[in-house]
Amino acid sequence: MSERGTSGRLMQLPPSQRWPLVAGMLLLSASAFFPLYVMASNAFRTNLDWANSQIGLPTTTSLAAFRRAWEGASIGSSFVNSIEISLGTVVLSIAFATMAAYSCSKIAWRPRQVLFLALLFWIVVPPLVLLVPVYIELASLPLIHVNLLNSKLGMVLVYTAVNLPFNLYLMTAYFRSLPDELLEAARIDGASVPQTFVQVMVPLARPALATLAIFNFLWAWNEFMFALFILTSTSTKPLTVAVQQLQGRFDQDPTGLMAGLCIATLPVIGVYLIFQRHLVRAITAGVGK
Amino acid sequence: MTASVSSSTPSPPSRPGAGIRRRSALGRLARVEWLWGVIFAAPAVVLVGLFVAYPLGTVIYYGFTRWNGLSPAEWVGFHNYRVLASDPVFRTALRNNFLFALSVPIQMTLPLVLAYLIHMRITGWSFFRATFFIPATIATVVVGIVAYSTFQVSGALNALLGAVGLHSLEHNWLASAHTSIPLILLVVVWANFGYNVLIYLAGMAALDPALEEAARMDGARAWRILISVVAPNLRRVMELVLVTSTVTAFAYMFTYIYVITNGGPGFDTNVAEFQIYYQWFTNGNAGYACAMATVLLLITVLLGMIQIRVLTRRAEG
Repeated sequence: MSERGTSGRLMQLPPSQRWPLVAGMLLLSASAFFPLYVMASNAFRTNLDWANSQIGLPTTTSLAAFRRAWEGASIGSSFVNSIEISLGTVVLSIAFATMAAYSCSKIAWRPRQVLFLALLFWIVVPPLVLLVPVYIELASLPLIHVNLLNSKLGMVLVYTAVNLPFNLYLMTAYFRSLPDELLEAARIDGASVPQTFVQVMVPLARPALATLAIFNFLWAWNEFMFALFILTSTSTKPLTVAVQQLQGRFDQDPTGLMAGLCIATLPVIGVYLIFQRHLVRAITAGVGK
Repeated sequence: MTASVSSSTPSPPSRPGAGIRRRSALGRLARVEWLWGVIFAAPAVVLVGLFVAYPLGTVIYYGFTRWNGLSPAEWVGFHNYRVLASDPVFRTALRNNFLFALSVPIQMTLPLVLAYLIHMRITGWSFFRATFFIPATIATVVVGIVAYSTFQVSGALNALLGAVGLHSLEHNWLASAHTSIPLILLVVVWANFGYNVLIYLAGMAALDPALEEAARMDGARAWRILISVVAPNLRRVMELVLVTSTVTAFAYMFTYIYVITNGGPGFDTNVAEFQIYYQWFTNGNAGYACAMATVLLLITVLLGMIQIRVLTRRAEG
């Protein structure tokens, strides 16, 4: 029945419309690969080959650019920093947002709607507006006077806070779509508020959790602006900052820059393409209408 | 209907005193709910308070001071705002933000159409669904560097134009705001469209198929169904895309500008964010930077509120 329904959808478009549309979509797909082509084709060139031509396939192949990027820009240690920061952000921001969403949607206490709006409001704040005060704040945390500048933990806390409003929005919408009956059944069986959360709500929320994990990981992995000012030492700076510093030497070493971009980009795209089907399904299941 | 814990009290109490006991038990239950409500919300409230709300408060305060970011601030009242009102650089920056906001209609409609075609299982739909999201997985700074290397005067775009014999079209694309702003706008749309396609697809997957089926039975064509059935039922998703893509034009442009044009030539491709960074980091005018940040914040809050208001009203009316 549903099979016939899906094939029936196609009948709506006459071929005179379908094929131009498919061609347009193919062009868009090709454009998605364009930066990858630019990075990969130029990373294997020598700088001399680059000077002669940047389009077309390389006439020389050399791995020297990768070595220069890896050693000269400490891409290796930045890679590890990026992974640590991104995973830390994913874990903290999802845990805290899920707890708060539970509090805002399923715990019966009066101020929950006010609290939801009070936390959601910050979704419109441009992160750069926070840059100056967060920088000052991290240099000496209020009350406890700890310096978290150049600290991965400090960065994770800021990333978590900035992502919380969006996460809360998505998780609360998801929890609200779950019927209260499930929860009440658990409560009547004698489960406490936290037990209901761990045993009933979190397992049910798995699709939304997967969606958030993907979004937050990509956000943290790709964040540049805060990291540029807060993580300045070699031992803490993430890939985005390391790669941008390569750009400063662009005129001298364009192929080294492209190799650095490859190292920063291809692992994420590789992981995405391998798990693409699961990721897309997770995202479409986690965001309702 | 399943009774909730608090309303499951059976018939009225028969013995005197039982009602009081039950009421106090209910009161205890409510207190327990309150306690857990607070505990579960606490980590989020503390972090958002510490790293979003409190810093914003200090931004607004420092906007009224003369301050270099290090030594104690000196209260100057509305002085920064008076200077700001006649600052041509900041005006250019805001104008550029509004120019980038022109991408919002494209960011709303193009992904909607693409998502609908994938939703209708057009030839190659699963390939398109997989590849459209690739740009969203590439870091903004990487996208920016590739864009810079492509559009710069000795870059791939000019090389390509030369290779096909169009030397007359070769151009220093990034040397003038007239060409660099449309190009950056294109890059932003490109970087975000796959993300929006996926969000729309999620909304379409959650729609009741019977709605579309009924329209099809009535003989409606595909585009008619999109406009009259699918889009109106995606209100929450469209609201999300509208707000996020507008916020992008005002709040996520820094990296693109920093990497592609560095605000130049002169201050021509500046956006508000870049000017805030510049006044604080390069000029040491942290107080003035905070006044600009307050203005930018007001703009995003107002736009966010207007958009949600307009969308909810349209749904009701």
